[in-house]
Amino acid sequence: MPIGNLDVPIIGKNVIIAVLVQSHILFAAFIIGAVLIAATSEYLGMVTKQTYYERFARNLARFVVLLFASGAALAITFVLALVTLFPVFFSILQNIFFWVFLVEAFMFLGQIIIVYAWYNVWDKLAYRKSLHVVFGFVAGFFGLMAMTMIDAVASFMLTPAEVTSQADLVARSFLNQTMVPLNMHRFIGNFSYAGFLIAGWAGWRYLRTTREDDREYYDWMGHFGLLWGFGFLIIQPVIGYGYLKGIRESAPESFNTIMLGDKSWVFNFLALWLAVLSIASTAYFVHKLRFAIKPMETLRKLSVGALGLTALFTVLNVIPTNANLIPQIGLVFGQGEATKIPLGSMYPWKYIGLIGMMLVGFFVVALYLRASATGFHWGRASRWSQVALMICAFVVVLTMVTMGYTRETARRVDNDPAYLINGCVKLDQTIVKEGCPTTPIMEGKGG
Amino acid sequence: MDLALLLQQESTGDPTAIGIFRFFAGFLIIVTIYTSFLGFTYWIGKDE
Repeated sequence: MPIGNLDVPIIGKNVIIAVLVQSHILFAAFIIGAVLIAATSEYLGMVTKQTYYERFARNLARFVVLLFASGAALAITFVLALVTLFPVFFSILQNIFFWVFLVEAFMFLGQIIIVYAWYNVWDKLAYRKSLHVVFGFVAGFFGLMAMTMIDAVASFMLTPAEVTSQADLVARSFLNQTMVPLNMHRFIGNFSYAGFLIAGWAGWRYLRTTREDDREYYDWMGHFGLLWGFGFLIIQPVIGYGYLKGIRESAPESFNTIMLGDKSWVFNFLALWLAVLSIASTAYFVHKLRFAIKPMETLRKLSVGALGLTALFTVLNVIPTNANLIPQIGLVFGQGEATKIPLGSMYPWKYIGLIGMMLVGFFVVALYLRASATGFHWGRASRWSQVALMICAFVVVLTMVTMGYTRETARRVDNDPAYLINGCVKLDQTIVKEGCPTTPIMEGKGG
Repeated sequence: MDLALLLQQESTGDPTAIGIFRFFAGFLIIVTIYTSFLGFTYWIGKDE
């Protein structure tokens, strides 16, 4: 007997999927980023002979091994929920992406095997360190490939490819219009996200620990994590711009919804998160430069200037375009969309803000790396600088959740109708024949 | 309308009380799962 159209009481089936996927991605992105950061750290330890790198890499690898269970459990629960709650939609995806899902499964298997082997043979391969480092990078590679496979599916849902025959369905669907920018955005994002979380954790431990050697280590770890976090964050606006450009060209209505329409508040929040991350990171750098082994007063003064400019540019990004702030909860002032706010328009103000933020970001990271070359006195960081790291860790999680919500809600153009596969399969799993660019989907029978 | 029936309608995308409730409920569950799983992993991983 068929089970029929199941729904979940109280929170609804859409929220079930959102909760499982968002939770999963918070673990999965961290694991991919952390494995690559740990492998790089192990390599740096091998080359520089500095003990912090090795200690950090091993501890992080251990944490990743333990965390893998949570990420994997959420993934499999999500697939189960999708098969149960959205069976028609899932079978369409499975038909189009059979090979992609199959490759993903094996990449996941490869990742889990190599990550466990990597951690387990740490002592055994102590005298063959180069080989051991390769284990870490191979594990990271498998993770990236698994991510690439699911990115093809996720990007296809927003911008289904123009496919007119069964023969070229797989290749063109895989390389749909937003697949490459999404994959790049997530590739860079993994490093940034994991870096900020590591920095936040280090800040917490630094404030809690009572041992001097641990204080020095966690101080160093906060610095190392933040370099990954902020260093990769400042690349994101350019790639994000490319991604949005792809969405605007292939799904203009979705672009309008998330950038200009009722859901544009998601980008106001993003600008706010970016402002907090940038200002907190730059302030941390300014503070840290006081403890450079070789005093660098000029560099410090320049970085103080950079902090001011970062604040200026990021605040420019935060200003909303109009008074239609969050219409869903009635946060509308004046005439709503008709009430324009000075300095709030995308062109030129937000472009100036974003480009300025990136340029100043590169500048301050370059200054900081210059000072890092001669080293810092570890263990002397102030309390507030560690709090800044913890704020970054908290805000980067909000950034991830906001961006995940943005991509998925982009398919709900005024909910009229809302789509699972944009223009092709509606939220109630009925198949739309008109306007769907992927012709083979139309061959199915509508529900 | 019966509350149970009411709660099975609408979606997060709609500007209704139910939609907004579901949005925040979803967010709260995500944060709860995330922090508790991370905390658990820390707990099983820490040295005695």
